[in-house]
Amino acid sequence: MDGRVSLDRVAMRFGDFTAIQPTSLEIQSGEFFSFLGPSGCGKTTLLNIISGFLTPSEGKVSIGGEEMIRVPVNRRPTAMIFQNLALFPLMSVYDNIEFGLEVRGVDRSARRRKADELLELVALGGSGHKPVSELSGGQKQRIAIARALAVEPRVLLLDEPLSALDLKLRQHMRTELKAIQRQTGITFIYITHDQGEALTMSDRVAVMSAGRIEQIADPMTLYRDPATAFVAGFVGENNRLAGHVTAADGELVTLDAGLAVAVSGRARQPLAVGDSASLYVRPEQWRVGTPDDLRLPFSGIVQAEHFEGAWLTLEVALDSGPTLRVQVPHVVTGDGVDAQLRVGGSCRLDYSPREAVVLPGAEPSPEAGEVADVAATA
Amino acid sequence: MWQQLHNRFGLPLTMAIVGLLGVWLILMVLLPQWQMIDYSFHPSLLPSERGGEKDVWTLANYVTFFHNDIHLAIFFKTIWSSVLVTALTLVVSYPLAYYLAKVATPGQAALCLLLLIVPFWINEILRTFAWYIIFAFRGPLNELLFALGLIDRPIRFLNGDTGVLVGMVYAYILFMVFPLYNAIESLDGNQIRAARDLGAGWLRTHRRIVIPHAKPGIATGCIMTFMLAAGSYAVPALLGSPGSRWFTQIIYNWFFEGGDWNQGAAYAFLLLALCILFVTLVMRIFKVGLGDIAK
Ligand SMILES: Nc1ncnc2c1ncn2[C@@H]1O[C@H](COP(=O)(O)OP(=O)(O)O)[C@@H](O)[C@H]1O
Ligand SMILES: [Mg+2]
Repeated sequence: MDGRVSLDRVAMRFGDFTAIQPTSLEIQSGEFFSFLGPSGCGKTTLLNIISGFLTPSEGKVSIGGEEMIRVPVNRRPTAMIFQNLALFPLMSVYDNIEFGLEVRGVDRSARRRKADELLELVALGGSGHKPVSELSGGQKQRIAIARALAVEPRVLLLDEPLSALDLKLRQHMRTELKAIQRQTGITFIYITHDQGEALTMSDRVAVMSAGRIEQIADPMTLYRDPATAFVAGFVGENNRLAGHVTAADGELVTLDAGLAVAVSGRARQPLAVGDSASLYVRPEQWRVGTPDDLRLPFSGIVQAEHFEGAWLTLEVALDSGPTLRVQVPHVVTGDGVDAQLRVGGSCRLDYSPREAVVLPGAEPSPEAGEVADVAATA
Repeated sequence: MWQQLHNRFGLPLTMAIVGLLGVWLILMVLLPQWQMIDYSFHPSLLPSERGGEKDVWTLANYVTFFHNDIHLAIFFKTIWSSVLVTALTLVVSYPLAYYLAKVATPGQAALCLLLLIVPFWINEILRTFAWYIIFAFRGPLNELLFALGLIDRPIRFLNGDTGVLVGMVYAYILFMVFPLYNAIESLDGNQIRAARDLGAGWLRTHRRIVIPHAKPGIATGCIMTFMLAAGSYAVPALLGSPGSRWFTQIIYNWFFEGGDWNQGAAYAFLLLALCILFVTLVMRIFKVGLGDIAK
């Protein structure tokens, strides 16, 4: 079963509005691939192009090496799980799951066997005769998965399928979806605006913004090595320190960000002295110490504390102006750093340049939602 | 409802509204109908005989109907033709309603609805008469078919049932389109997409997804169209031929040509009762409840 999906310069325009910029990518057979991006960036449009609900303005889509553009929706080897699930409310669970098989002319007993198998797979064995309206949110979710799997698609397309569930169930379903994907070996293409979902389940993630793919990488690389300012700001939290390059020494680049000390980090692409650039340091990458710990070069005042269970998030105003978001592990015994930090008190900070990333451009990326945004001093 | 009105208008105004409503209902609706029922159970008498010994309760007016083969035949023909009209109207309206509800952009839908409604600003008689002109032996339709080479001599559309059927489908199409449109409109578009995605062709998607969802709307539209068609007078009178008489024409004749209001009233109630019976039966067969329709 070849579930490769390839997009070749696919673009979509609605009138004058370009919803998808020309995009090419290859998704491997059996891969759990996610599209992650803010609402309105074109994820659903892209999924609809793969499933055949939309014909792209340009470019080619192929699945398993077969050209798909002229193949209508009902003949593509894909199955979709809709954002609102779209179960058939007038039918029983069995009828829902068997719908696709009935269409294919599978006889009644074989249909029922398959439906029972799938109900076992989604851990809902025995509920086949129930009307759909009697199921809970999580159960509906599983029936939608079973219904889509029944037609043995080569590619399963999922449009934010967990967004209607409550938090606990959502987290549970992540594990379950991933398990189902491993078990069936079907290519999953998953779209979401929730980075937690994308990072925990996916083999690879494509981060999208305004109809363009910013970066395709495995979750760890995405988090550690964002390729663009958008990705750095959108995936996880980040503190951005903008400035210009004062020294470029191989991979490590030093910036003047208007702070008491120069800052440095890894550059993903060559930068020359004088270029404007930004340094990104994640909240948990800061090392926090007491005011007398002079080994730490930055000093600031704690503006606010947010207790988040395992973490304590601090807003620290550096002496030279910018406010950073900093996370320290919360230590239950009360003898950790967190016990000595008080709102209004001062602290010292440091980070490791090998963990921080420098990207070109001193302008913030719109939409990306960076935590701290520090303009370079002239 | 009393409570709602009371909260909004206060006691005196509410009493006035409810009072007026009651007067209207009793004087304009209930009393005349009651009078008709009363007529239908009495023999037709000269004014001087009213209240005399001949003025008794009787079922004779109703019995007449069952002993008159011609009237029975016309009655069944009326029912059958009304079923045909209903079916034809459904067939014409369903694609239209689906297009309006699910395919057209809001602008296109508004334009279509306007085009559908505008002709109904004209009086029903005039609209029907327009068909009379179109269907005339030397009328535009025959001219057109002739010009297209589809026929070599004019057809007498107004001779059989064709004229009546077409005229009625046209007269009652809105009563079908609107309930259908409302029902289909409320269907989640993803349901249709899901069916397509699972491999269903268009026919199956309609049969399994759209039509079951729209069933209450279909029932409402069919009942309205059927009742209107069975009770129609103008269309068969204008577009029908002597061979395609409608039951309403017989009722009319009893009232205004036979001058026998008692007999006419009995026929009118028979038509009403038998139509209701028929509709109830059909609803039973298709498993539609009154509750579904009210939705
Ligand atoms: N049929 C359409 N006509 C015009 N614009 C559309 C259409 N479908 C989507 N769009 C626009 O394309 C953009 C991307 O939409 P969508 O793919 O639904 O985003 P996402 O799923 O990422 O939230 C949005 O700005 C949306 O308004
Ligand atoms: Mg979407």
